[in-house]
Amino acid sequence: MSDKQAEIVVLGSGPGGYTAAFRAADLGKKVILIERFDSIGGVCLNVGCIPSKALLHAAKVMEEAESMADHGIQFGKPKVDIKKLAAWKDGVVSRLTGGLKALAKQRKVEIVTGYGKFTGPNEIAVEHDGKTTTVGFDNCIIAAGSRPVNLPFIPEDERIFDSTGALTLKHIPKKMLVLGGGIIGLEMATVYHQLGSQIDVVEFLPQLMNGADKDIVKPYEKWVKQRYNKIMLETKVTTVEAKKDGIHVTMEDKKGQTLTEKYDGVLVAVGRTPNGLLIDADKAGVQVTERGFIDVDKQQRTNVPHIYAIGDIVGQPMLAHKAVPQGKIAAEVIAGEKHFFEPNCIASVAYTDPEVAWVGVTENEAKEKGIKYGKGNFPWAASGRSLSNGRDEGMTKVLFDEETNRIIGCGIVGTNAGDLIAEAALAIEMGCDAEDISLTIHPHPTLSESIAMATEAFEGTITDLYMPKKKK
Amino acid sequence: MAEDIKVPDIGEYSNVDVIEIMVQPGDTVAAEDSLIALETDKATMEIPAPKAGVVKAVTVKEGDKVSEGDVILSLEAEGSSAEAAPAETAVPAEASSSAPASSSGAPQVVNVPDIGEYSDVEVIEVLIKPGDELQEEASMVTLETDKATMDIPAPFAGTVAEVKLQEGDKVSQGDLIAMMTPAGASPAAAPEPVAEKAAPAPAPEKTAPAAAPQATPAVTGGKAHASPAMRRLARELGVSELATVPATGRKGCITEEDLKQFVKGIVQSAQSGGGAGLGLLPDPVVDFAKFGDIETQPLPRIKKISGDNLARNWVRVPHITFFEDADITELEAFRKGKKAAAEKAGVKLTPVPFIVKAVAKALSEFPNVNSSLSADGASQVFKQYVHVGVAVDTPKGLMVPVIRDADQKGIYDIARDLMEYSTQAREGKLKPESMQGGCFTISSLGGIGTKYFAPIVNMPEAAILGVSKADMKPIYDGNGGFTPRLMLPLSLSADHRVIDGAEAGKFIVTVAQYLSDIKELVL
Repeated sequence: MSDKQAEIVVLGSGPGGYTAAFRAADLGKKVILIERFDSIGGVCLNVGCIPSKALLHAAKVMEEAESMADHGIQFGKPKVDIKKLAAWKDGVVSRLTGGLKALAKQRKVEIVTGYGKFTGPNEIAVEHDGKTTTVGFDNCIIAAGSRPVNLPFIPEDERIFDSTGALTLKHIPKKMLVLGGGIIGLEMATVYHQLGSQIDVVEFLPQLMNGADKDIVKPYEKWVKQRYNKIMLETKVTTVEAKKDGIHVTMEDKKGQTLTEKYDGVLVAVGRTPNGLLIDADKAGVQVTERGFIDVDKQQRTNVPHIYAIGDIVGQPMLAHKAVPQGKIAAEVIAGEKHFFEPNCIASVAYTDPEVAWVGVTENEAKEKGIKYGKGNFPWAASGRSLSNGRDEGMTKVLFDEETNRIIGCGIVGTNAGDLIAEAALAIEMGCDAEDISLTIHPHPTLSESIAMATEAFEGTITDLYMPKKKK
Repeated sequence: MAEDIKVPDIGEYSNVDVIEIMVQPGDTVAAEDSLIALETDKATMEIPAPKAGVVKAVTVKEGDKVSEGDVILSLEAEGSSAEAAPAETAVPAEASSSAPASSSGAPQVVNVPDIGEYSDVEVIEVLIKPGDELQEEASMVTLETDKATMDIPAPFAGTVAEVKLQEGDKVSQGDLIAMMTPAGASPAAAPEPVAEKAAPAPAPEKTAPAAAPQATPAVTGGKAHASPAMRRLARELGVSELATVPATGRKGCITEEDLKQFVKGIVQSAQSGGGAGLGLLPDPVVDFAKFGDIETQPLPRIKKISGDNLARNWVRVPHITFFEDADITELEAFRKGKKAAAEKAGVKLTPVPFIVKAVAKALSEFPNVNSSLSADGASQVFKQYVHVGVAVDTPKGLMVPVIRDADQKGIYDIARDLMEYSTQAREGKLKPESMQGGCFTISSLGGIGTKYFAPIVNMPEAAILGVSKADMKPIYDGNGGFTPRLMLPLSLSADHRVIDGAEAGKFIVTVAQYLSDIKELVL
């Protein structure tokens, strides 16, 4: 007999977990939400999406203020009160997590705090402060998420931190190495650069933001190259030594040449790994892969019919906006609905400055799969709005299926790319073709019209650029 | 301007009787409407209107004899948009063709559109009453055939002025349903139905399991087009393969109505095909142990699968079975004479390769027998290849490996294929690919005995030939005496939907003839 019992127990209260829990409660189920930390909301709310966006906003404001100096408004060098900035960021976080707790209370979702692990196919034991509470369930939704990858050869030192540590702003290094040229590392680079750190980036692959097409990363790369110290691609880190005078990092490029640099701080951002092997899933009979992922079907079911899994723990992409719909579906399926997780596309966004966003098929993928596509490009140097924003480096690219003229992919680099990409996602899901997009009136002057313009460029009807040899 | 409508290509016939005139001057016809009926010595055929229009004058009468090219009538073709011309546009065309000219004032006729092969279909529900404001494609009445229920949609948006039928009425294409005043507030409203009517009209056809072929959903990157809400609805309705749903939405998108019609169609055909729809008693349940010792064993997988297939074939195919004896006296003499030489060439020469060859030749001469009905039952697939399956008994159960291009292979090659398959079959190593692509099946009982049997057609093939044990029989020699001849019993079951009695008879007689004189196979 368990200490507590519920129809649905959700393990983990990140965006996937709390969405599943709240949806299930709205569908009339008795729900218990297990969260090991005192505040709910998981990585996203506490040490991920939200705090990073708050700091990125601060960075953006600083950048914009600084750039106005050339255009007649001089702010001068800003005084940065790091503690106050961190406190504001924490305030945003606690406002949201507090709000979540209120939502949970309104829905009568019971939150059990502690580290949950399976004891059997229908029970989880939650440990907190030396005490264990057993929670029995008819159905379980595993939303235990992921954690930053730890590279074993990297020593422990307070000057070496991951994204969670970076968000605390405990230490603004004078000279900082961002180890890993993916989205998370580069977002933190954006923040720390504005806060005064000199930035080096080292990345093993030939490109930053792997997964995005080269042409939309290029304007971003150009922008940061002018501001950061060094961007080292196709370079691997061979040793990291924590010495009194700094962190000594030896790197080797593709030609075999090595280089050792000394840094005041190193951000290790080499990816995230799922938590599947940390919850005794095997005691419930749930299969977990060697890497720690839990495989599920399109209704989020694991190999055990009454146990579901969602979010980072089930695979890539590890994004909150993937976890959220999966959470909804898991709750709805348990409630008897015939719902399936079958989106046509999931957008990726780097909230750097400039932002980089892409959705649907990339040119790389299209070439790999032999998909015949046409594309339209619109450089923001021709965008009245972008120029009015004092920026000209952006670009919008739209890909269309050659046969049906339907939109299959979109890539955007520039300020607000993350907000703009949603239109493309909708267009792809709705099966819009080029005409549908170009005939939809986009307001002027906005950045959103770049999508219509790129489409017109594809069609050959664009008037804001001169492209004589286009088809129509 | 009026144009002459002539008798089209009617095959090899000329001077064919006109047995019925189905239109008169002043009638408005849609494309494909029947104009006159002709009767040859074989069949009756109706001549369809090649386009929509108004009949100006009819120049033939019952009893006339006509040939290809003779003028039947003169037709004033639809003057308005090109959209009126396309073949499958249904009757609403003539209702709204006057719309662009007139304003919204006058009520327009709404007729029963093309509803497939049915006529005198019962109206089971009238969904409208005078005064109702309907959107384009809103359902007006529900008709029920013996196969399916179909809703007739409004061909244009408008207000119902009069309802011209009631529940229980029996209607056919062209009958009046209602008078509707088109929604004329904006000029765009009236002309739109003319242009867009290609969409509403085909909708009723889709309720019958035979869906209009051009309605396959557009596909990009392997995915059929449906918005997220439609994809969810599809899943809720149990549809997992969107590409199989006929789509009538703009640019090939699947709409909510498409999903509903698709599912309705499947339910109707499932109910008419399955046992529940047949109104059968449930299977009897008997506790056999009550009557003596029993031993229960699980049904082997192959037996279960083939059992399910046979049960379906039995129910779905209307079987006709023909029996015939083939005189294989000469064939056997030839074969036995060749046996030793064949063995030296590594070939085991049994009668089966000869039967395969005879069947293969017959198949190339009887295209109907070498065909299959399409899955939706609306078309017939005529194969240009001849692959013959030969049923073999294996330790795992009955299997039918297929001899490819049997019409192009010699006897020895066919024999070699059979030997190869036999070996594989004995070792349980017959590959699934070997059993695919067959046009026809031969089921030989070999030396077992029995005379004739009624084999079950191996769907989706159209026929199957059963072969039993040859026997010496006294055959009338035509001169008052009897001579001993070796007669091979043949049993041909055929799918009567595809093959008629005369053809089945001719086919089996042809096969028997080839077997009785194998020199024919050389020709």
